[in-house]
Amino acid sequence: MKNKHCKLFIVFMTLLFLCGCWDIKDINKRTIPLVMGISKENGGGYKVTLQIPVLKNESQVSRVVTGKGETVTSALGKIRTSSENALDNTQIRLIVLQNNVAHNQQELSGIVKFLMGSEEIPSRALIAVTDENVEDVLSSINDKLGVHASSIYDFFNKGAGWAPEIFSTPLWEMYRSLFSSTKDIAVPVIRSGKNTVLIFEGSEIFKKGKIIARFNPDESQLIRVLQNKNEKGKIESLGFASIMVSNSSIQYRSSLKNNKLLLVSNLHVKINVLERKDGVTNNKIIKELERISEKRFYEIFKQMKESHTDIFGFGQQFQQLISYDDLKQWRSEYYPELKVVFEVDVKME
Amino acid sequence: MRANIVKEIQSRFSDHYDDFFIEEELVEKTTIFLIGFNTLVDLAKSKLFVQQMADSSASVKALFKNLSDRINIDTEQLIQGILEGNLVIVSQDGKQNVVVDPIVKNLRSSISEPKNESPIQSSTDAFGDDINTNVGMIRKRLSTASLCHCSYQVGELEKRKISMLYIKGRTPKALIEKVNEQLKGINTDIETIDDLNLQFGKRRLSPVSHLSATELPIQAIHSLKENRIVLFLDNCPFALVFPNLIWDMLGGINDRNFPFILSFMLRFFRVIGLVATLILPALYVALVSVNPEVFKLDLALFVAKSREGIPLSAFLETIAMVVLVDLILEAIVRLPKSVGPAITMVGGIILGQAMVEAKLVSNLLVIVITAVVIASSAVIGMQNSLYIRLLKYPILILASLFGILGVCTGFIITIIYLASLTSNDVPYMTFRIKQEGETK
Repeated sequence: MKNKHCKLFIVFMTLLFLCGCWDIKDINKRTIPLVMGISKENGGGYKVTLQIPVLKNESQVSRVVTGKGETVTSALGKIRTSSENALDNTQIRLIVLQNNVAHNQQELSGIVKFLMGSEEIPSRALIAVTDENVEDVLSSINDKLGVHASSIYDFFNKGAGWAPEIFSTPLWEMYRSLFSSTKDIAVPVIRSGKNTVLIFEGSEIFKKGKIIARFNPDESQLIRVLQNKNEKGKIESLGFASIMVSNSSIQYRSSLKNNKLLLVSNLHVKINVLERKDGVTNNKIIKELERISEKRFYEIFKQMKESHTDIFGFGQQFQQLISYDDLKQWRSEYYPELKVVFEVDVKME
Repeated sequence: MRANIVKEIQSRFSDHYDDFFIEEELVEKTTIFLIGFNTLVDLAKSKLFVQQMADSSASVKALFKNLSDRINIDTEQLIQGILEGNLVIVSQDGKQNVVVDPIVKNLRSSISEPKNESPIQSSTDAFGDDINTNVGMIRKRLSTASLCHCSYQVGELEKRKISMLYIKGRTPKALIEKVNEQLKGINTDIETIDDLNLQFGKRRLSPVSHLSATELPIQAIHSLKENRIVLFLDNCPFALVFPNLIWDMLGGINDRNFPFILSFMLRFFRVIGLVATLILPALYVALVSVNPEVFKLDLALFVAKSREGIPLSAFLETIAMVVLVDLILEAIVRLPKSVGPAITMVGGIILGQAMVEAKLVSNLLVIVITAVVIASSAVIGMQNSLYIRLLKYPILILASLFGILGVCTGFIITIIYLASLTSNDVPYMTFRIKQEGETK
């Protein structure tokens, strides 16, 4: 009995002395950056910019802190040293890469691997690319009226029905695309706005960390549709009428016959007609929309084929038909031979 | 000339028994002695009663026979009878005696409404101090021949009456026999409910009692029908249901006066109250100081803002507030009804307003604490509310050390602990006891 008590006592004391609870910092004693910007210095080092919300002051919502270093780690370390409170990176929701970083394939994949490997930075943080000075983008929030510290992140989180053009790419998807042989990835491009905090400029297409092309918002939208993301809320102007997409879905049928790859994709779109000119029939609207969508797709597809970039992830549809080892050559061998039949089926509500 | 037996009784109560009386009374030309305590026996009325009985009796012997069955017993038993508040009558020569149920002084309040429970849509009779009345209340409401009643007199200094009720053929025999043995084996004084509780097995440091106390006859009867045992202690206005089960905390029979869906809702809210009391303060500490990364972004900023400039650490402010609130709850219970509201008001203002305005604790914490106080009162029974209020402290301490992990382990350890409790091999966490003879 006494032995038992002794053991219990030892367990209790180890709990107390080995728990490390003296390092615990309350949330108000931590500095919580929300956005991280990474850019390249002229000299060759990195500059890391953090947007940190200011809690006390009512007139200013956030401040921007920068640190420079040979690597991202050392730059972060410098910020950590000079910070007033404990720097807690766990709430970083957006990582903005300046184009001079994004255009260097090796450096970019290095940074993405570091960010992914870091325990603190959450892998669900979103990634975006900007052409401007990243510091300006992050500090632009301070001279806008009626915004919150989290507005930059909120920009990406409006929800599909509200702003169908905007899409977001989390860090882990970017990391995955570095190793994927059948799917490439689009990353949103932003710049600071005049009246609003951010402006959406389209997307950069990355193939294994290398920028292949830049799409405008309309083209980026099509990528999302082909990845079976709902297009609800999208407004399309056809010249003689304007319509709003109320629902969309896509189906793929892939086949491999006589070494010929064929992919049939059916896009079903439901639309509402918002306005139309006199004498325009429903049929005409449907025909025109189908024609425009198909044309837009084939244009992008041709362009992508030339650069061997599978942005739509068509390679995913052939995973049952082609062996895993062969799929590694998907981009160079199979993808240029792929024939896609793209059919749009528009219905009026 | 007094008989020896009267002298002997008198000598036993000679000093420091000022309420002891020996009255001489002339009946049928012979003297009889009336002996008893005038604090327990209404002497005037009893005299009248004896006179009336004497008028209709032929002799003293016949009178004694008419008065009671306990005739001509030995001195020790007479003394015991006197102590129990009976009237002892001894004839002049001391050869005949009788213990009579006297006309008693009314020392008990009548059946009143429950003080510690507030039943809705149900009978508002509550148990009283008198053990016979209490058993009677059960018998009246449950008129079946299978309702069995065993009574015990236990104790060293004083003999206290304990009654055990069960329904024959329903309550498992093994359980009855065990309780019977345990009650018979009591050799210490039973002063409080906890003294009785300790007789059912070692649970000295456990906050959970073997007995669940209820004031309401309908609840006690329901427990009987649920194959359990009901105990009564004299001068204790509660039915003590054995064994105590966790379901007693969550569902009472009164809930079933409402349609099923409503009673389900009530019970569901009690479960929420139970869980919230256990983990809400711990969750606050864990999220604010150890694992803020769990918060959604907006919430994290809001919490950080609400705690801006607060000197105490999250754990300290939480434990301070929790202790303060428990103090207030205790104080309100002890205070007379006229002062209670004043304390409530002062406590509310000091805790709710002044502490937040002084930036000593964050206003979010005040909301959390208020929620906990309300939640802890949602469960049935004051003792249950008390023990879940106690169980939240270990979880709180674990949470301050290990964060969310601590909350989870603390909660799981609490559940494991509760599941390990048994009373006479009936697990505390069981929902119902099997009927006698019933197999799975």
